Amino acid sequence: MATPDTRSDDAARTVEVDTGGGPPPPAGSTAPTGSRRAAKIARRARHRSARGARTGLVLLGAVLLAAGVLTVLLVNGVFGENRPLRPLFDPLIAQFLTAQDTPARIVAIVAGVLLFVLGLVFAVRAVRPEPRPDVVLDDGAGTRIRIDAGAAAEAVADGAEGLPGVTRARARMVGSNAAPAVRATVWIDEDAADTTVAETCRRLDAEVLAQVRDSLGLPDLAVAVRLELDSVRRDRAPRVA
Amino acid sequence: MRVLLRVLAPLVSLAVAALGALLVVEVVAVWAGWGSGAGLLVPWRDWRTSLETTLWTSPVVLWTAVAAIVAGALLLVIGLLARRHDVPLTSPSPGMTVATAPRVLARLVGSRVRAADPVTAATVTASSRSVVVRARGRGDIDAEVRTAASGVLDALPLARRPRLTVRTAPDQPTSRQGVH
Repeated sequence: MATPDTRSDDAARTVEVDTGGGPPPPAGSTAPTGSRRAAKIARRARHRSARGARTGLVLLGAVLLAAGVLTVLLVNGVFGENRPLRPLFDPLIAQFLTAQDTPARIVAIVAGVLLFVLGLVFAVRAVRPEPRPDVVLDDGAGTRIRIDAGAAAEAVADGAEGLPGVTRARARMVGSNAAPAVRATVWIDEDAADTTVAETCRRLDAEVLAQVRDSLGLPDLAVAVRLELDSVRRDRAPRVA
Repeated sequence: MRVLLRVLAPLVSLAVAALGALLVVEVVAVWAGWGSGAGLLVPWRDWRTSLETTLWTSPVVLWTAVAAIVAGALLLVIGLLARRHDVPLTSPSPGMTVATAPRVLARLVGSRVRAADPVTAATVTASSRSVVVRARGRGDIDAEVRTAASGVLDALPLARRPRLTVRTAPDQPTSRQGVH
């Protein structure tokens, strides 16, 4: 999930973005920070991140695994020969908790509240649909123009559909209000796909995106393109030659 | 794996939240003196009694530990394997990323390889790191298959050229057309 970028929008807008179709600057060169930021936003826009869910599951799995392994070791007497002969809830621990009952209760309540809040936050994040931020153009003179997320994305999709070799295109806005980006899926004709892909990508960046960025007033609008194959023509051809 | 992750993540989160809520409710109930029986929502006093009487050596403990190991290993595997397997392409400018699915790469390579005359059937497995072509045909088709497949890999603006492996076999009368 993309976290809102707290950097100032104005600072980013003054940065030039190279739309000339040149190769990306090699890592470690003195690239302008704006392009690096745009690259980061574009990378994030490729697909919905599941990093939080994956980290949570890996952590929970590791805890369960460790608890199970430690229990097996304890049962086999690795932590002392007499240890397995004592009850699960050791009388020593019970005595300690009874003696310290107020701190123990406070710790238990705090732990419970933490688990409850964290669990709810993760559950809401997991089921919430991905936001589609509108594009807000701020002139700074009390004027704010809000461009609907659907309209902004459609501009990219329409432009991409006009390119040769592209059969259809779909786009949507992703990210946050501070860092909006476009996620586009472009279907290309299978028959000529390998020869047209490079040219399609170049024209998508140099013509379509340049125009959309210009008309929206967002020179650093990041775009993540996903290429798919369309087999419309193939289906129309006779199946038996 | 990805689907499993999308289903498991909210369920596990809700279970953790429920556990936290129960803990708070029971501790507060004890403190306020509400719970008179085995517990307010769950009979935790009964659980404590059985925990105090069960020894670590009892078979239940071992089976529970084995179950925890299996469940933990499963969650670990799901969490670690639920990655995206996109094939990145070179992007013309920093503000744009281009990627495609391994399936697309396999389909493109497959259709070009099958277009070669002596090839009768081909199966392609592709990822961003490697492309494996298994082809059948008349005569020695190895060079031809390799040329067709590398032609596609050269033409596509792949961010990283995958390793190409070609396995060929002589044609058999009952060969079927391969899958993508």
